[in-house]
Amino acid sequence: MGNPLEITDLVYKKNQKKIITDLNLTLKPGKIVALLGENGAGKTTLMRIISGVAKNYRGTVKVASFAKEADRKAHLSFTDGLTGFANSTKINDIVKFYQILYHDFSLKQFEQLRKFMNLDSDMRLSEMSKGMKEKLVIALTFSRKTDLYLLDEPFSGIDAMARKKIIKSIILWKQEKSTILVSDHFVNEIAAVLDEVVIIKNKTVCMHKSTEAIRADNQSVEEFYESFYQREEDE
Amino acid sequence: MEFKDNIPIYLQIKQYLYRQIITGKLKPGKKIPSVRELAVQLTVNVNTVQRALQQMNFEGILYTKRGEGNFVTEDTTLLEKTKRELIDAELDKFVQSMNSLGVSDEQILKSLTEYLKEERK
Repeated sequence: MGNPLEITDLVYKKNQKKIITDLNLTLKPGKIVALLGENGAGKTTLMRIISGVAKNYRGTVKVASFAKEADRKAHLSFTDGLTGFANSTKINDIVKFYQILYHDFSLKQFEQLRKFMNLDSDMRLSEMSKGMKEKLVIALTFSRKTDLYLLDEPFSGIDAMARKKIIKSIILWKQEKSTILVSDHFVNEIAAVLDEVVIIKNKTVCMHKSTEAIRADNQSVEEFYESFYQREEDE
Repeated sequence: MEFKDNIPIYLQIKQYLYRQIITGKLKPGKKIPSVRELAVQLTVNVNTVQRALQQMNFEGILYTKRGEGNFVTEDTTLLEKTKRELIDAELDKFVQSMNSLGVSDEQILKSLTEYLKEERK
């Protein structure tokens, strides 16, 4: 098996405007990696390209050595919001849909995660808070057995307790060889669980470094991340 | 357990485990929690815990039983040495901090003796 993710010379335009340019990124197996960048830096776009939701890009995107979209989708787990489901949909029905769609979806694993997150399977989306929806997204995402997991800003707009639950679930349910890419515009709250950070700026990856290497220079991961944006403000 | 984010976390995990061992919370010859249990308990990365445990195995303060996990050494000499090193590290910090306040080594001893006398009253 190759690396969970290999991106080469990626360029992506939307309405004639470059969103991503000359982006290269390789992630090794067994890592928890943060994808950091300001709002609008292209983090969500990148996740959508990796997962095959966004098309018409230039360059190569490989997930576990597979470049074709369908193969990539089979080797990564990404829940692109829950926007495809009507507000009246119950958790149970979403689970049924996932079982049909993904052969690697484990109901047993989902039930464990659902209980851990204190979610009631009879609940409808309309009855759920933002934090609960985010917990459901995490539970669905981790119930599949894949090489790569993509979490798009799971911590935005949720309370501290929900955040702790999500962070603990990442530690508990990550398989040894699988890699998690988690985007955020904030790093402090998850710094201790990260292996690496990838910083996106000026439409490309401007830094990819191990968190322990950053700390070995007596710098906090947050300071390190902020220094990339500080320079711009000083100019 | 809160870790400082500007010091490698594997070093802080080691410090934490040394303390657990020295204070008897983890006993000689007894099994310590698994890598994943420690990671969840401390809310840190599994690979980072692994690295800390590997080094402690190398140092001899922990030993691995195949398929069973990590155990605390029963070597009392090594445990004593580890305790002394922890004490020395704390003293280093204290003396450096006093020196930075302009307190000389002689004054430190005097101040500390007086302080302890006052406190014991």
